Amino acid sequence: MNRDPRTPWLAAAALIAVATGVARAGEIPERPEGLVFPDLDYEPPLAADYRTTLENGMVAYLVPDPSTPLVTVSVLLRLGPDQDPAGKEGASRLMMGLLTEGGAGALSAEQLEDRVAALGAQLSSGLGGGRRGMMGMGGVRTGPAESWVTLNLLKKDLDEGLALLIACLKEPAFQEDRLRLAKEQELQQMKERNDDTAGIERREWGYLMYGEDHWTTRWTTQASVESVGRADLTALHRRYVGPANFLLAVSGDFEPKAMKKALDRAFAGWPTVAETPGPPAAPTHEPVSGWFAVDKDVNQARVSFGIRAIDRYDPDWYAALVLNDILGGGGFSSRLVNRIRSDEGLAYSVRSALGGGTYYPEAWSVTFQTKVRSTAYAVSLALAEIAGIRDEPVTDDELALAKASLSESLPAGFETAGAIANALALEELTGRYQRDPGYYREYRDRIAAVTTADVQRVARRLLDPAAMTFLVVGDVDEALLGDPKHDVTIESLAGGAPTRLPLRDPLTLEPLTE
Amino acid sequence: MFRADLTPAKRRSSAVLFALAVTAALSAAGFGAPPAAAAERETAPPAVQEHVLANGMKVLMVPRHLAPTVAAGWVARVGSANERPGITGISHLFEHMMFKGTRTIGTRDAELDALLIEKQEEIQTQMRAEMAIQRDRLRRGEIADITSPDAKTPRFRELEARFDSLVAQQRDNMVKNEFDQVLSRQGASRINAFTSEDMTFYIMSVPANKLELWFWMESDRLMNPVFREFYSERDVVYEERRLRVESTPLGKFQESFDALFWDASPYTWPVIGYASDLPFITKQDADEYYARYYAPNNVCAVLVGDFDPSQAIDLAERYFGRIPRGEVAPPPMITREPRQNAEKRFYGEAETNPAVTVRWHTVAQVHRDTPALLVLAELLNGPTGRLQRNLVLGQGLATSARAGQDSRKYEGLFEIDAECRDGRAPEELEQAIYAEIAGFQREPVADDELQSVKNRYLTRTWRQLDGNFFQMIRYGSAEALGSWRDADRIDQEVLATTAADVHRVATEYFTRENRAVAIWTRIASAAPEDPALAGLSPQSREMVQRSLARLEGMTGPAQVEEMLDRLSAMGDRMPAEMRPALDLVRTRAEARLAELRKEAQ
Repeated sequence: MNRDPRTPWLAAAALIAVATGVARAGEIPERPEGLVFPDLDYEPPLAADYRTTLENGMVAYLVPDPSTPLVTVSVLLRLGPDQDPAGKEGASRLMMGLLTEGGAGALSAEQLEDRVAALGAQLSSGLGGGRRGMMGMGGVRTGPAESWVTLNLLKKDLDEGLALLIACLKEPAFQEDRLRLAKEQELQQMKERNDDTAGIERREWGYLMYGEDHWTTRWTTQASVESVGRADLTALHRRYVGPANFLLAVSGDFEPKAMKKALDRAFAGWPTVAETPGPPAAPTHEPVSGWFAVDKDVNQARVSFGIRAIDRYDPDWYAALVLNDILGGGGFSSRLVNRIRSDEGLAYSVRSALGGGTYYPEAWSVTFQTKVRSTAYAVSLALAEIAGIRDEPVTDDELALAKASLSESLPAGFETAGAIANALALEELTGRYQRDPGYYREYRDRIAAVTTADVQRVARRLLDPAAMTFLVVGDVDEALLGDPKHDVTIESLAGGAPTRLPLRDPLTLEPLTE
Repeated sequence: MFRADLTPAKRRSSAVLFALAVTAALSAAGFGAPPAAAAERETAPPAVQEHVLANGMKVLMVPRHLAPTVAAGWVARVGSANERPGITGISHLFEHMMFKGTRTIGTRDAELDALLIEKQEEIQTQMRAEMAIQRDRLRRGEIADITSPDAKTPRFRELEARFDSLVAQQRDNMVKNEFDQVLSRQGASRINAFTSEDMTFYIMSVPANKLELWFWMESDRLMNPVFREFYSERDVVYEERRLRVESTPLGKFQESFDALFWDASPYTWPVIGYASDLPFITKQDADEYYARYYAPNNVCAVLVGDFDPSQAIDLAERYFGRIPRGEVAPPPMITREPRQNAEKRFYGEAETNPAVTVRWHTVAQVHRDTPALLVLAELLNGPTGRLQRNLVLGQGLATSARAGQDSRKYEGLFEIDAECRDGRAPEELEQAIYAEIAGFQREPVADDELQSVKNRYLTRTWRQLDGNFFQMIRYGSAEALGSWRDADRIDQEVLATTAADVHRVATEYFTRENRAVAIWTRIASAAPEDPALAGLSPQSREMVQRSLARLEGMTGPAQVEEMLDRLSAMGDRMPAEMRPALDLVRTRAEARLAELRKEAQ
């Protein structure tokens, strides 16, 4: 593969080196551009190198790595809250959690946990995005519509561990006392829904972007959780937990042939094959543009604003990635961080984010938190940056920087065997492997192909401030006052008062009236 | 060793603060949940190579060749414990300033830049004088909030405008965030840093062929940092304080509880800094701090990943070796936490579910009792731990509970935190926690329970060793708290811990006079309202709610009878406005008594 187009910095660095005189070995150049780096021939992992099909037709990604004496076996499933029966929101999550916490086969929950603990193993399961690990490292990066069961243990204990894992998948007991506890825990969390502005912001933003009837916003209520019984869990289990809905990500200290044999044995003879639900439904609701505010007595406002954008198969996807990186996704190197954080000191965390678009277009949004009186000023700065990126082409430097940082950091995403196995398996689980098998291999070329004109075109296509939804959570009256140092208020930006959204009852999510 | 867990819990003892917001939650991957007699190392721990430069800087190296990347970091042995009142939060602010560039990076003209910074400082001196007047007015009660935009004097506004124009001039001469840009352009990722009570750690991941760039950039900012944009960055950090402390349900309460727990130790103040101090830290404070704590002899670099150690040593000698040893040695930590003589109690009424936190003073990271305390924590934790089995499942008092030994450089603490099951009172849960501790004091831990804990600990260690970043943090943190060798040593000693060791530490540290207790209850206004409470004053309402919660948790008639006796005794002494509250509790108690008597039949 030709590396030149996707490594413009290399050419740039070489040019500068010629201009300034290359530092001789042992000398320290005056600027970092004077450094000359050895070539690095890196190719991202290829699915074909790790992908195997078990005798029962299941697909497994096997990535061996002997550096520690551990083995991780993750079973990934397409199962999300979109499969919850109406009125029983939370059922799938409870079922997935209890798969490994409610006993299995002849073992009570306590016996199972004792055995797992005695091996020093971890056996856990869950639904939705979680287990992303520290700073995004480790763990399985499942989205909200996927589930996982993970076993991690010393390789010498693999046979016993696999037997326990299989028992959980095949004959979970969903012990009543464990179900009761899980429901109580869910209710405890529910009670804290209005305590923290972050939770309020997340829910209201979901409603504004996806409507109240989308699977991502049909949150649990006291009634829905209380209505879930053991029979609901067994019904969900029978329907979705079986080889037809399993994809394996296996990493660690093993020999692939032996592992495949062990897995063939373990997954042979399943009572029901189960089914794979189709992709989760896209929202039918169109986001309402305008300003919305939720009152909560805290001295810092949380702000989200944006639009529903595009999915990851859209021809503009890569240009949108570059655009987002330049505008607010690229950390310290992005415009929003430079302006709102570095220049003005208005926020610790400010970013723009393009939703993953795994199954349908998700939100593109700007989020930050700032002292309530600065809310309007900070939004006005962000809007000016959005206008700027629509009106003027980005500079060559910015484009090169965004492209280089998106491309060159690719290896860091595949630092461990576990990361490789999980990334490849998720590609297949969420359907991109089938639709776009060259994704990882061509990723850098696709990024490299993005031009200044593409970025501006996509900015104009997506970032229309008139179509955007703005949400502020915090002390609204203070926020409306604004900062006398700057000649801007929420009302001047919104062209009137924002729509006040009431807090919701934490247990029913019905709007609370004063 | 790193803190036993980094999960951002609601009621954790302290926070680790990052330069840039971390997108994913810090979770259990290497640090969280925990482990037949199989507890022997199956392969040796990674060989760490140590190299010490002539200027005292240490370099730790662990080559690993799975992916063409290197986790590269350096840690300064300084944190909030090295601060003093008046400049609390400076370690963390300083960490932010280290991303602002150097004489070479971040500016088009270093001399003009220096001149503009000097002029800015002159104005800032005058602004500080103006703020001193405001602080005086605050003491006199003439203004309510010194930081409100409405509190600025005309003179202050005028100075602020002059200052802003100097900043604008400086900005024209700057290359914004060039430090980050140079690195990002070459594929460095996860560029960040974090500050705790005892260390400041600067981290990133670089492509294997760009290791020299890391040496260039890091030696440059260690040697020639320029604290430009100091005052706007100070505002950024204040926003971080609002984000984590002031606008969260428990942030401010947590700071109070920390302050209650530590009498003398500098761990008494928050890493983020006091609200009063943070907005007034000066660039001069930062300059002094740099000279004292950022000399190479107070710094350790850690590289884990795809590189050749002999090349790395060459690069370290060339780049870091040129930095002169510090002129002032960092002062030793003199202050020690005195022995606590009486139990401390804290009642936090906040927007939170009822819960209890109990903390005991224990030992520093390098202390010989650390391994046994880690074992004790694991005996309590996890699905098979005693907290889950006895408090959550057995007695049904809690919906969740966790324990942890927080070993810092100079002191340590052991904490148990549990959230009440609906209707259970925190005090009841508190007593159950003591009963668990008493179990360890009374009887030695059974062999298989101890072995299971060791097995969990062993595999958790291996999990920590999977991944360059985790290893870098493991050895760098251990070095900051003592020596990198402690990381492996403590792991070995955990595996050698006996039931007698556990018994000894349980008896030694877990006494009444050595603990502080926080009782968390939901503040009245935030609770779903009981209609009977509507007419009560806020003060009586809280009293009633606490009593009703306690009643709900009572399991036998005798407990309720005792409560009724206490109520009658109190009745005579109660002020008239509290009477309705008392009557309400009495009525409910009588009803509960009848209910329990009926159940008992």
